[in-house]
Formats: sequence, C-alpha cells, structure tokens
Amino acid sequence: MQVRRFNSSRRSFLKLSALGAASAMLAACAAPAPTPTPVPKPTEPPKPQPAVAPTSAPAPTAAAAPAATAAPTAAAAKPTEAAKPTEAAKPAPTAASKPAPEGVMRPPEPNPKRGGTLRGAWGITTSSYDIHQGGSSNVLCHLYNNLVVLNLGDGIKTIVPDLARKWTVSEDGKTYTFDLREGVKYHDGTPFSSADVLASFQRIISPPSGIVSVNKDLFSVVDKIDAPDAKTFRFILKEPRVYFLELLADPAHVIYSKKHLDANGGDLRKVITPGTGPFMFKDYKEAEKWTFVKNPSYWDPELPYLDSLVLVHAAAWTDRGTAILTDQADMTWNCSIETWQEGQKRSDTIATNRLYNYGGYAILINTKKKPFDDPRVRRAINLAVSRQDLIKAFQTQEWINTTRWVPHGDRYALSTEEILKLPGYRADKKDDIAAAKKLLADAGYPDGFKGVDFLCASVAAHAEIMAPAFQEQLKRTLGIETKIRVQERALLVQEQQKGNFDMVLDTPGHLLSDIAPLASVYFKTGGSRNYGQFSNAEFDKTLAAVDSETDPAKRAPMIRKLEDILDNEPPWYPVGYTFHLPMWRKTAKGMGLELRQRAQWGRLDTAWIDK
Amino acid sequence: MQRYILGRLALAVPTLFGITVLIFLAMRVLPGDPVAMIASEGQGTYTLTQEELAAARHSLGLDRPLYMQYLSWMSDVAHGDLGRSFWRGDPIRDLIARRGPITAQIALMAVAVSWLIGIPVGMFSAMWRRSLADYVTRFVVTVFMAVPSFWIGLVIVLVGVLWFTWRPPISIIYLWENPSGNLQMTIGPAVAMGAGLGAVTARITRSSVLEVLGEDYVRTARAKGLRNRLIIGRHVLKNALLPIITYSGLALGGLLGGSVAVERAFSVPGLGMALVQALNERDWMMIQNLVLLYGVIFTIINLVVDVSYGIFDPRVRYQ
Repeated sequence: MQVRRFNSSRRSFLKLSALGAASAMLAACAAPAPTPTPVPKPTEPPKPQPAVAPTSAPAPTAAAAPAATAAPTAAAAKPTEAAKPTEAAKPAPTAASKPAPEGVMRPPEPNPKRGGTLRGAWGITTSSYDIHQGGSSNVLCHLYNNLVVLNLGDGIKTIVPDLARKWTVSEDGKTYTFDLREGVKYHDGTPFSSADVLASFQRIISPPSGIVSVNKDLFSVVDKIDAPDAKTFRFILKEPRVYFLELLADPAHVIYSKKHLDANGGDLRKVITPGTGPFMFKDYKEAEKWTFVKNPSYWDPELPYLDSLVLVHAAAWTDRGTAILTDQADMTWNCSIETWQEGQKRSDTIATNRLYNYGGYAILINTKKKPFDDPRVRRAINLAVSRQDLIKAFQTQEWINTTRWVPHGDRYALSTEEILKLPGYRADKKDDIAAAKKLLADAGYPDGFKGVDFLCASVAAHAEIMAPAFQEQLKRTLGIETKIRVQERALLVQEQQKGNFDMVLDTPGHLLSDIAPLASVYFKTGGSRNYGQFSNAEFDKTLAAVDSETDPAKRAPMIRKLEDILDNEPPWYPVGYTFHLPMWRKTAKGMGLELRQRAQWGRLDTAWIDK
Repeated sequence: MQRYILGRLALAVPTLFGITVLIFLAMRVLPGDPVAMIASEGQGTYTLTQEELAAARHSLGLDRPLYMQYLSWMSDVAHGDLGRSFWRGDPIRDLIARRGPITAQIALMAVAVSWLIGIPVGMFSAMWRRSLADYVTRFVVTVFMAVPSFWIGLVIVLVGVLWFTWRPPISIIYLWENPSGNLQMTIGPAVAMGAGLGAVTARITRSSVLEVLGEDYVRTARAKGLRNRLIIGRHVLKNALLPIITYSGLALGGLLGGSVAVERAFSVPGLGMALVQALNERDWMMIQNLVLLYGVIFTIINLVVDVSYGIFDPRVRYQ
C-alpha cells in the first residue's frame, strides 16, 4: 500500500493511539471502586431455634441443626435413640390437594399453587457434569435424588427419606440399612434399583482409575457397602458416625444410574445423564442459563409444583441481588451485603435471611517452618491480631462472624458472647498484645522477625483487603514483617500442597458443621488438607474419640478440649466463619428459606410460585 | 486491489500460525492445567494424589506429546470444528456462535456511540481552538478518558436499580428475538464503552481537524469564499477521518474480543466473560480457540481498515 502525504498525520495518530491505549490499560487495571453503601456492623447471629432432637418415633431424623448453645443440652439426641430405627417422615403441615405419602417433603405453606417458573440466580457454571467428580451440585442436584435429603418443609432442620423409603440403624450405630422405593424410574424410563446405589457409592468411595471422587475422604469410615436385594442397600461402618445421615443428604451424593455409568465407562464429566429427580434437563447455555422442566413421572406425584426451573448465571454477588430486586430472578442463595440491605428495605416484595455458612477465612500457618514450628509464636499471632478489625476491614466484601474453631451454628459451637470473652477473641487487645509479646520474647523473638512468606489468592478482596490488613496488624503489634505473595487461586492449593508458604490466606470450609470431619481434613496429622502439617498427638487421640462418640453429653467436653488445644497451639489464625445472605421475592415460596438457619445450596423440590 | 487483499490474506496465514503456536505453548508453560481446577479449593474435601492427578490428565489426553496435542487441535480447526471444552465436552463453536453476536453488536454500538460523541466534540473543540469552550471540552474529554468504562457501567446499573428498579437483562436476548429487550441489554455496555472511546476519538478528531485546517487547500477554499459548513463537511472532515478510522478499527477489534470489565459490570454473557471463565478453569481448548478467534478478528479488521483508506482518501493507492 502506498500512502501519499500522510506521514505527519500518521505520526500524530500513532501518538494519540498510544495515549489512548495506555489510558485504556490503566483503566482496565484499576481496582474496582469500593461500594459506598454503608454496611451493618456484624452482630450476633439471630437466635436459632433449639436443635431438633431425633426421636424414636417414625419422624424426620434431625440434621445437625444449628444451635448457638454453649454445650449440648438435654434436648440433644441420646445414642440409644439414634440407634433405633428411623422410619418415614410425617409430612410437614400442608394443605396440598392430595394426602402426602409417607416420608416425603412438602412445602411449609398451605395450598401451594401449580405451574410457573422459578428463576434462581447464582454462579451456575460447572467444571463438569459429574457431581461426584466436582461438578456443581447446586445446579445439577435438581435432576437427581439422594438416599435421604434435608427437609425443605422445615427449613432443612431434619432429614427425610428420598430414594430410600425408610432406614434403620443398628444398635451399635455401624450398620445403616436402607429400604428403597419401588416403582422409581429415571427420566429415560430406566427402573431404579439398589444396583444403582451400589454403583454410585462404589465410585464415590473407591473410584476407578481416572475418576476423581472429590469427597472420597468423607466416606473413609465405610467398611463395606452391599445390596442384598433389589430394594435394600447397606452401609457397614468401621465406627459409628453421628453425622453419617447428614453426609448422605448432601447434594453432592446423588444416585446415578448404573446403566448410564456403564454406558459412559464410569465417567459422566461430559454427559448430563438422566436422573430420578423432580426436574428433567431441557437446555444449558454455557455460563448463561440452565432450563429444567418438571418430571411428569416423578415418584412423588405431588411434586414438583413448578413447570420449570430456570437458573441464570450471576457470578457476582451484586448481580444476584440486583436480579432479585429488579424481578429478573426469584431467589438467590447468597448476594452482596448492599443489595441484601436494599432488599430488606423493600420488605413488601422482597424477603431476606441470614444463614450460618460452614466456610470462612483463615490464615494457615506452616508449622514445620521456623519460627512457626514454635507453638508460642503461633499463639502470639492469634492473641495479638484483632479479629474485629479484620472483620470490619472486610465488611464491604463478606459478612464474617466472630467464631472459634467449631463452625457457628453447630450445636457444639460456643455462642458469640462466650467467644468474645476469650483471650485472642475479645475486642480489647491490651492484655492479649502484652501476653503475645511475652510469648514471642520467650520464643526468642522479642522484636519480632522479618521475611515471612505470606501467600494469598489473586482475588482482589483477599490480596487487597484481608492480606494487607493482617500484614499491617502483625507488623504493628508484634513486629513481624511479611511479604505478600499473590498466587492464582487455582494454583494456591498446589503451592499449599508443596508446603511453599510460611502463612497462607485461605477459605477453608466443609459440607458439615461437625468439627470431627472438618478437623480430620484440616488438623489431624496427615489430614488431606492439613497443609501446615500441624501435628498433635493429644489432639489426634481426642479427635478420634469425638468422631466415634455418639453421645452428645460425652462429645461436648471433648470438643471443648479440641478447641482448647487448637487455641493453645493454633495451626491457623482463624478469622471467622461467614454468613450467607439469601434473598428472594415473596412470590417464590415452598423453599423454607425463611425457616432456615444454615446455608445449603441444594434442592428446590417443593418450591412454588404464588402468582 | 484484489491482489492486495489476497496478498494481505496470505500474509495473515503465518501470523495466525504464530498465534496458535504461541498460545498453545503459553498454556503449557504457565503453571497449572485443567486438572488444577479439580484439585483447587471448594471442590470437595479430598486432595488428589499425584497418581490420581496423572490418571485424570491421561483421561483428558493431557499426557500426550505436545506436537500431537497441537496437531489434534489444528485438525479440529481445519475441519471447522473448534473442539470441545476439556471437562464438559461442550462444543466451543456453539459457544462462539451464541455469544459472538451479542459481543459484536455491543462493539459496533460502542464504536457508533464513540463517533456520535467524539467527532462532533472534537470538531467543535478544534474550530473554537483556545476558547473557553475548547478548554472546557478538553477537560471533560480528559475526564472521560481517565474514567474506566466499567465504572460508568456500574453507575448505570446502580442508578437503574436504586432509582428505577431496573437493570439490564442478564440473559442473552437477540435483536431479532426481542428488539426492545436486546436494546436494554446492549445499550448500557455500548454507552459505557462508547464514552471512553468517544473521548479518545474527540482528541484524535481535534488534532486531525486542526492539522487539516492548516492545509493550503482549506486556506484556498476560504479565500474563494466557500461557506464554512461546506469547507468543514467537504474538505476538512473527510481528510481528517483517516486516523479516526484507524483508531476505531483497532478499538473495534479489541471490543469484538469482548470487554471483560464492562461485560462483568453488566453481567453480559459475552466472549470476554467466556475467556475469563476458561482462564479460571484452565480450559486450554477454550482459551486457544478464543485467542485464535481474536487473532482472526484483528487480522480482518486491520485489512478492512487499510482497504477503507482508499475509499475515504483517493490519494491512497494499493499496489
């Protein structure tokens, strides 16, 4: 190409283009502006109702219901009761047109209406379509059933039968026998049998080569599974586990068809396989929208009430909230604080709740590296750094509660009032900082130390708020100087696995609130996520005892002991567990969201639209 | 002209080949792979052993020699099939076909908005050079150049939600399906991006127009008594357009790749968001194909811009 008489203008153009490109790059690199909306000071969580105690009568089995009591109360379950057969659930109060068959869920409100579409909004992407291999259960669970399920009708406080019609637990608490429903069919007409349950749990517990079972560790207590006949399935455990039924009720533990597993070589990552669930797959637009339609042949003829369930992609918390506020969605499991507050102001059309989440923020400490191999140093950090200040610094991002080691809402968790009296957790840091300095001096670091490798994920809120806030407090109170090293989130675990850190800001969490499975993963010697290699023989011994104990009265003091050990020789600096902030339009009913105390992103079988 | 275009297209082949090799290798050299996704936090309580990770890599074909993986990808591309996402197996072609039109529409609308704002403002500023109006205009233009487009996007969304209980739709609505819904979805991102582009366009227009205003032929036109409107419309603007076209072309190329920040602000499921998701999931196949697509887009747009020079400026000749 030949251009005549264009030289001077091209030069000026290039200059301007470079200026424009530089401006654009600066703009793109800029941090998001902080939201100006004031947020409430995190306060004491709402007083939960008393834990629902399992009874020996045929009734829903109590899940590990949230309870902010200091210790288990007399209302808690007795081991003998837990060992008794638990049969089908009585239906929740409902004025449904047909009488409910035994052991099924019903919405909490009377006279549910049929028809319509419920629009959910949250991050609906999934790495694969195989839930057992880490596919998103909060999206795919609507297609499937579990053996048992948390009861939506009472705000997921009890466990009711799902594909199991009823179950019994042996006297020693080690054998769970499930009597399976008859006449259940997959969406393609394939009949359901115990062979499907067997195949599903075989791949969860002992996955074949190339199959990644993400919750394999949770089932390590299972000694044997078998299916004596087509309608019976059994788990035989090595030891009793009080939370075993709750584990089975998690949306990640769905039942797949053996036929479809076999047809796909046991790998469902690329296949949306038919389930037995209340909804059938219709369409998926990648990272945009899932459409599920009613299963007309669902084994519970009363459900679902909805004609369809549409899940729209709203990865950002703010988008979820604004989608509800502007009637582009009917419900979300968790939204941003400022949109949640806006929803509270619009109480004529919008409803909100605040739920205990079993995940939180913590700074994991590498206990094998000096000087953190000295428990006094770790204890000093836990005493000196103010949780209240960190929570306040983070309040525009996520609502963190002041908690100890047991997740808030668990029946064994201390109340916030009690926690706030403890050294290290209390707001007044004067005595704690003095004690921390003494500990550090005793450990040989009276003036602190430098060069600590502080790893954190390349998430803006982590790298730009929480990590610097922690860094500043460490330096100011104890003279410990850290260097923040930002790593891409997907690679953070690899760095942790290799032990390439002194401290790391992480977001640990668990499916269950019980401290035993959580501690087995994070604190037990050799635990799969014990990246800081914490090891304490007394802790391990007590943990083993807690895990196999079924008597709450005996568990309570042992759990206190576990927490005391962790406070004295902390493997982490736990900032706190978080709240989830669900919001929904008042026309969306049947989910029991207003009755819930804990978060679980799961099934919506009983949802209905009041329009 | 035909020979020129064919020559340019032929030159694009090694460029695109280079892009494919670079992105393919970059993905393999950077730490982490699709299996890292499953091993990362929030994906269960179990941490995979090295053997299990190796088995997972084998099942995804990630343990094959690099040249085989590359040839396999190129074979897919040659057959018009852009492959499938690693984990889910979804066709990438379908994703591009679904999201591409929305991203393209927003990009074109943003460029149109930038012209609607930038050219009149730039001309106004040039014609009243060094007046108070010029200084005010330049100040406003500088402000808009400095303000990130995603911030404007957030303001649009927040004002819509808080004052009018309205926000742009978060699911794709095509123009041919529902024009009103489609405009609600696209106008916000177009304005947010167009404002920043318009500011740059105004600066380019101003300097370009000033340069042309000093040319002999403009002085001659004035000397012979031609009306100012005719001088500006016929002589100045047409001659000042080339740098604006070049800038807009480059900007359009960038916008067609999707503006991540603005798509994120408006929750528009465009190609930019798809790339971010693919990066988070380390979905190499998706990343490779999207980058290849951007390479093709830039190549074509550069060609179109070059060809358009000849249309707007007859002095330009192609050899």
